[in-house]
Amino acid sequence: MEDYKYLFKVVLIGNAGVGKTCLVRRFTQGIFPPGQGATIGVDFMIKTVEIDGLKIKLQIWDTAGQERFRSITQSYYRSAHALILVYDVSAQPTFDCLPVWLREVEEYASPKVLRVLVGNKVDRDDREIPPAVGEAFSRMNNMYFIETSAKDCSNVDKLFQEIARELIQVEHFLLFQ
Amino acid sequence: MSVWSTLSDSSFLEMLDTVLSKCDASYCCCGCCAALRPRYKRLVDNIFPVNPEDGLVRSNMDKLTFYSMSSPEKLDRIGEYLAQRVSRDIYRHRNPMVIIAMEAMDQLLLACHAQSLNLFVESFLKTVQKLLETTEPALQILASQSFVKFANIEEDTPSYHRRYDFFVSKFASLCHSNHPEVDVLNSLRLAGLRGIQGVVRKTVSDDLVENIWEPVHMDKIIPSLLYNMQHASGHPEEQTDSENGARNIDPSSLAENCLRELVGRASFGNIRSVIKPVFKHLDLHELWVPNDFAIYTFRVIMYSIQVQYSYAVVENLMMHLDTSSRSRAKVRTSMANVLAKIISIAAGESVGPSVLEIVNSLLKHLKQSIMSAIPVDDAEAVADEKQFQESLISALAEFAYHLPDYQKIEIMMFIIGRTPVAGEFDPENVQAETLLQHMLLKCLLKVSYKYQSTNFSTSLPLTFLDPLLRTSLGQDAYVRVLVQEILHCLLDRHENRLKLKKPCIDICGLNLVFDKCSRADSLFYKNHGSRILVNLSESLDLTNVTRENIEAIYCTAALVCVELATDEMLVDILRWALAVQDVALTNTMLHPTNRISLHVVSLSIFNLASHTMNVATLIEYSAQVVAARTAKAPLLLRFNEGSAEEFPQDGIPPECLLDFNTIADCMKEAGKDIMGMIPLQGPFNANQRYSWADSSLHQPSSFTDLSNLNLDGSESNTSSPGVSRRYAEEEVTFEALKKVLAEPAESRREAEYEKRQVICEKFRNTPFQQLVASSAKNDVLNDTLNQILTRISIMPCGQPELTAVQPNNQSMPLYGNNFPDLFVY
Repeated sequence: MEDYKYLFKVVLIGNAGVGKTCLVRRFTQGIFPPGQGATIGVDFMIKTVEIDGLKIKLQIWDTAGQERFRSITQSYYRSAHALILVYDVSAQPTFDCLPVWLREVEEYASPKVLRVLVGNKVDRDDREIPPAVGEAFSRMNNMYFIETSAKDCSNVDKLFQEIARELIQVEHFLLFQ
Repeated sequence: MSVWSTLSDSSFLEMLDTVLSKCDASYCCCGCCAALRPRYKRLVDNIFPVNPEDGLVRSNMDKLTFYSMSSPEKLDRIGEYLAQRVSRDIYRHRNPMVIIAMEAMDQLLLACHAQSLNLFVESFLKTVQKLLETTEPALQILASQSFVKFANIEEDTPSYHRRYDFFVSKFASLCHSNHPEVDVLNSLRLAGLRGIQGVVRKTVSDDLVENIWEPVHMDKIIPSLLYNMQHASGHPEEQTDSENGARNIDPSSLAENCLRELVGRASFGNIRSVIKPVFKHLDLHELWVPNDFAIYTFRVIMYSIQVQYSYAVVENLMMHLDTSSRSRAKVRTSMANVLAKIISIAAGESVGPSVLEIVNSLLKHLKQSIMSAIPVDDAEAVADEKQFQESLISALAEFAYHLPDYQKIEIMMFIIGRTPVAGEFDPENVQAETLLQHMLLKCLLKVSYKYQSTNFSTSLPLTFLDPLLRTSLGQDAYVRVLVQEILHCLLDRHENRLKLKKPCIDICGLNLVFDKCSRADSLFYKNHGSRILVNLSESLDLTNVTRENIEAIYCTAALVCVELATDEMLVDILRWALAVQDVALTNTMLHPTNRISLHVVSLSIFNLASHTMNVATLIEYSAQVVAARTAKAPLLLRFNEGSAEEFPQDGIPPECLLDFNTIADCMKEAGKDIMGMIPLQGPFNANQRYSWADSSLHQPSSFTDLSNLNLDGSESNTSSPGVSRRYAEEEVTFEALKKVLAEPAESRREAEYEKRQVICEKFRNTPFQQLVASSAKNDVLNDTLNQILTRISIMPCGQPELTAVQPNNQSMPLYGNNFPDLFVY
């Protein structure tokens, strides 16, 4: 009856305007909505991926970046299996805020949560954060790292596929223990 | 590779799908293969119309319902099969079929008996979740409607394993819908709110199912409700008034109802988890300034919470104020304002320690705010902070106002205990301490405004009266006015204080209201009355007396006169009036205007007392003096109108003054007891009974025969070993007492203090034996004491005698130090 083997909850966080909603839309619906308005509260999408013949259902919670919605967004961290922390490679301030976000993650999310750092908008010419900088930061904080572009669809599927793969491994590891 | 292509199911499902789709396509085909299928599947299939627009096939639905009711064991399979169909239809975007299937599930859910539903519910909820996972608003709304139906049925077996995580998360997300079309947006938000309401209803009633009060849920639910409440489109009142208000309910009012319901169900332990997200939401959305929404929210909470817990909300708000001590003053002011608005609602239910806790933390904030060093040059910050303090005080007043009177007294005693006493100020922080004193006394005044005095012994217990009177002798003229005003509120039982605000000769025009003095009142007067009067005249004698002081003191004395109309009071008040006149005559340090005022006060109070006690002879005498003044010194009849230049340089004609002997004659004539007036044969002195002076005056007490025992203050004084009888040996002459009156209070107090120090030192450092030996010298006193003790023990009703001794004890400025003998023996 069940049409999937695993269900994982993925939560996207990061400053307003870094492209969280676009990433989710691109991945779940295959579209890049131009002029996407600011998310209010929390948005929800579902998508099933197949990894090694296993059907994995991903519940994706796309949170609002604006600070005033922090009260509601933080409440979604706790149950997440994976947290995707997104910044905009063409906007230094969104990168500078990462430590603040990590502190929030420490405070509200489960300690076992899978943490992924995503540098979005690589299609843009006015890049401010070189890939190496992002990668260094992710290594320092024990996170996975990937650079994506929701606009030209680079690495978007890979991002979620990798997350699903990683979560299955964690799940299996726990199972064997 | 496209993910969607991989999604199509296992081979079995695929095959089933094709068969079923064929069935749908042609009815006769369905008829022929239907024979091969189990009955329940056939029944389910038959409820679907050939043409989706036709809707549910009612007759077949009845058959399915009847079947599932008659063989409940099949119900879970039916549910499973329906769920399967729905998920397939969702996948194929055949929404009309989805809607039909949901309708069928709803009907089955409502029709079947509770005990058979358990497994069916699993399929049902799975289907609801499926619908919620779609991106189509219509299906999501449908899902929430079905969920509400489910939430409203009562299951008899709780399902411990059922989880509502997803529903709470998804419904909360729906509440924040940002759909571009306003109508859809509203329906989605309403769907979310209804869903939340459903989850709450489903879970709160049963302790065994998932705990909805966990912060993980509340942190989602509360912000969602508040977010919808704060986006009210227009005034909620108008909307409910309109005729179609019920149908076109808007999200904000539904959210409010939801919050009311939720808060109403919260038990004490859950309040924190409900309130905390509220604070967080208000903080993050910056809804404190302006605070209309915050007030609205807290009103909603306070009016819907179970009354016995309402004070917990206040406590939580106070705690939040604690944690927000670094926020802007405007934010804190707003919080305090919210507090002031809601605190009255909680006051009725606050009992015991929680009351003082609330008061304590308000005072703590007040103190913190006053002590916080704000750069004086930042005028705006100073003004903001000031406003914060004011709102704290009004919150406190509001709280006290709604408490029963006995708790008001408790609060007042608590506040006076917290008030810094002048002279004990931290020398480094005199300014702040003075401000704090002013603020706390203002608090006290606000509380006492609302207090309705009935019985003085409860409204002015010694523990409260004592510090109050002490404060009334402080250096700060403003503080003294405040204290007098507090006394006015507490003494006034008949709303006379506005009429008695200013000294006035014409008593009849005031329309004073007063009752006959009760026994309790006269007892109170016996214990404290003259003390209050003595205090009043002392504070009149301070160097920096202002017009306001004089007015306030007059008012207090007048209230005593009206409220405590006993014979004893009459004697004391006459003495007081004479003493005031004496100060006016002799204290050359006073401003001439004030001296004139004192004359007016003296005559006014004399007149008032004669009228309240209705002593004809005194009234007559008072009229005589008034007449004399009208003729010869009209200045002495008008309070605050005379200027210094007009002060009669050549003295006041004696007939314009109150004369002791005439008064004594009047009293005798009226048949009043004038025992208490005997000491007045000497010079007038207000301090007679309670200051050191009375120790040498052999004051006979009219209510006890103890004076026969030769026990008086002078003996007492000598009983302190090694301390010379300094005061007692002083000559009691007119000059001496005049000197004392003219002498600034400072030096007198210093002398007393020195003396106290000496005695204290003596008793701390001298060995016990030596103390015994030294005090044993006073044989006379010991004899006297023994005599008293035996007399008391013989007397059957020893109690009054003991109380009678008390005032004498208290009269000693040296207090306990005067009585070492009592401790030694």
